[in-house]
Amino acid sequence: MSFKGFDKQTYIVDSAKAFGSRKISKREFMRRMGMAGIGFSAFSAGLLGNPYRRSLGKPAYAADITLPDDQVKFLKEVGGKYKGATVRYTSEATPPTVVLNQIKDQFTNLTGINVEVEIVPLEQVLAKATQDVQGQLGSYDLYYLDQAWVATFAPDCIDPIQYTKDKPDLAMPGFDWDDFSKPLVSGLAMYEGKMVGIPFDIPIFILMYRQDILEKHGIKVPTNYAEFTDAVHKITEAEKANNIFGTGLQAKSGHYSLECDWTQAVWGHGGSIFRADKTFSGNDEAAIKGLQWYQDLLKNAPAASTTSTWDGQFQMMAAGQCALVQSWDEFFPGLDADDSKVKGLWQPAKPLQSEAGLRPASEAGFGELPNLGHQGGSIMGLSQYSKNQEAAWIFMQWACSKEIMTQCTLAGGFAPMRLSSFADERVKAKAKVMPGTTRHLETVLWTIDNVMASEPDMPLWAGFANNEIPTELGKLTTGQDYGGDAKKCMDAIAAMIDSKNKEAGLL
Amino acid sequence: MSQATVAIRPARGFVLPRFLTSEHPFPWLAPITAVLLIFGVYPLLYALWLSLHKRNPATRISIFDPEYNWLKILTDDRMWGAIGHTYLYTIVAIAIELVLGLLIALLLDTDRRGYGVLRALMTLPLVVPPAVTGMMFLLMMDGSFGVLSRGLYATGLLSPSTPILANSSTALTGILIADVWQWTPFMVLIMMAGLRALPKDPYEAAAIDGATPVQAFFKLTLPMLSKIIAIAVLIRGVDLFRTFDYVKVMTEGGPGTATETLTAYAGTIYFKNADFPYASTIALMTLILVVVTSSLFIKIFKVRF
Repeated sequence: MSFKGFDKQTYIVDSAKAFGSRKISKREFMRRMGMAGIGFSAFSAGLLGNPYRRSLGKPAYAADITLPDDQVKFLKEVGGKYKGATVRYTSEATPPTVVLNQIKDQFTNLTGINVEVEIVPLEQVLAKATQDVQGQLGSYDLYYLDQAWVATFAPDCIDPIQYTKDKPDLAMPGFDWDDFSKPLVSGLAMYEGKMVGIPFDIPIFILMYRQDILEKHGIKVPTNYAEFTDAVHKITEAEKANNIFGTGLQAKSGHYSLECDWTQAVWGHGGSIFRADKTFSGNDEAAIKGLQWYQDLLKNAPAASTTSTWDGQFQMMAAGQCALVQSWDEFFPGLDADDSKVKGLWQPAKPLQSEAGLRPASEAGFGELPNLGHQGGSIMGLSQYSKNQEAAWIFMQWACSKEIMTQCTLAGGFAPMRLSSFADERVKAKAKVMPGTTRHLETVLWTIDNVMASEPDMPLWAGFANNEIPTELGKLTTGQDYGGDAKKCMDAIAAMIDSKNKEAGLL
Repeated sequence: MSQATVAIRPARGFVLPRFLTSEHPFPWLAPITAVLLIFGVYPLLYALWLSLHKRNPATRISIFDPEYNWLKILTDDRMWGAIGHTYLYTIVAIAIELVLGLLIALLLDTDRRGYGVLRALMTLPLVVPPAVTGMMFLLMMDGSFGVLSRGLYATGLLSPSTPILANSSTALTGILIADVWQWTPFMVLIMMAGLRALPKDPYEAAAIDGATPVQAFFKLTLPMLSKIIAIAVLIRGVDLFRTFDYVKVMTEGGPGTATETLTAYAGTIYFKNADFPYASTIALMTLILVVVTSSLFIKIFKVRF
């Protein structure tokens, strides 16, 4: 087959569009590109995958937005006063942010306020926000704040409830604060009595399992850590020849994802990160058991686990390389995508119960909530230093309103913050095997309401969670140091963290 | 008024400002001096000022404590590890790129038909941004589907249970492969320029005396190229000392701290811990090490510019 110049270009463009809209598979895309003579580039592009966080499949906004009349009127009349202002928001590519970026023009059409959403990797969001608050620059009007950073940025954000009281004329009608899930507000957005922002994203750990593999080996769905471990061992042993492992992990050394896995392992074995006296407790007996359990899991997971973050873990699940995973619920809609080779095969289940019992929150420090479902949510915070505070606040209310949040869920099947979104008939109608499925949301809601766990709220946590803890854990899990001795590793981390906390006056 | 000034006076009565017609060097040096002051000296002084402070991340208050960060560096094991990795990375990369670059340059140093295209193709990796190169090699070294990993598994050189970048003893090699792929062409270009500038007479004399090509290479080419090699090593060495992109994209300094270089460590402290003073101190220490090492190199190898 030969191509003339123009034909070749249109062929490439059409193929790229088809691949982008998932009408053709990666294999077919590469074949076509190979024919067009740019095989190597296609190979690279194919491997790069899509740009969305945790590779969950592309959320495609399609539905109509129907805001209540009073909200439309508010946006036109009150928002219209700030016509021409530009609101800047920096965020990780979370599913709601991606959808928001797609539909922000509708807000601009109503208010005349321009919105710039800057989507960058998680580490860069932290760096940008840090620099912005350090210099009190106001370069960004709104911050994406991961739950691990809430305490760090609490002084730099305006309490939205207080702002509503202070500026009632800017309060969106029918916003309904009570509609937000209570555990999310308290576990995610609050720090020392201040509401730092509005909950905007809630990935949370649930159990996911390959029904076909479990049935094949006569294994019942695990409900606790012992059953899970047993099932993982059995599957690895039985399916080794097929390159299928019992589980897959997000154990990349030095990355926050490894810290998230570790935290869940510690909580699930009755431990906590800090004691009530605020000393580090990751080196006590319960926590060590959790870490040793995790070390054992690594032997029953694809080797790529130690270089994988959440993206890699999802890829393992999507590629059919593992059978049981306790991780982010956000993976689920992508597994049911049309081009997924495991469509309909993964099932959601409640997080594993702890046989050791959970450590009460009163025995943990810095507001930590040890429990079974690690939440990795985020909030949208209004910057103290914003030069367009009013306009940003109006956008923030629009973005977090019932209809928009529901649309975010409808677009990609991602867990909402609002109770009304969970109960929405349109959301419920998608609770079946289909792209952007919501069939896991019942489990997610139960997990949020009953067993949601939160990491500590303290100003140094962003650093500990992204640097010290995952780096030292990486030394242990990849054999660089500690000779496989979990206690030795955690003692080193304890010394490091306690010393830094003491120096900062937190101990 | 000098003739030169008169010559640049435009017609129709427009007169250039006096400072632009001055023969004094100051007006001509002022712009570049300003650029250097703003983008070179000011950041350096600011980094120095930061390094003399101790920041409390909980209160965000910085107090003047000139010894704190500099003493901290001395007792920071991770810092010493990063210095070791940086030197190891720099030395190994330079050695491989230099040898490969010289060999390829010798192969391409001909006017035969088609070699011009080969020389042009050699430079292609140089136009790829290092972060993209890092991403490309990260994917090729992926433990599950990476082309390179799969190839190594197939040949038995690597076990599927130990992906290149997940193993603390092989991860640095993985990053070096990306660096060598991208920067060997740079060495090729410099060596080729050097080879092309060599005089022909010594070779003709050597040929008359019966010298073999190998003898000619070691007795003539290499000694005559030594200054070029020294400069290439110096330029590339300084660049390698600052390596950040590949490490950041491919391993983030891991596994553990096995591939953490000085710049990667400074980046981690700055971006993840928001400890700006300590990150600045590490950056300044990097600068000091680059200056000292380069100066020693220049002195030992008698490099003249």
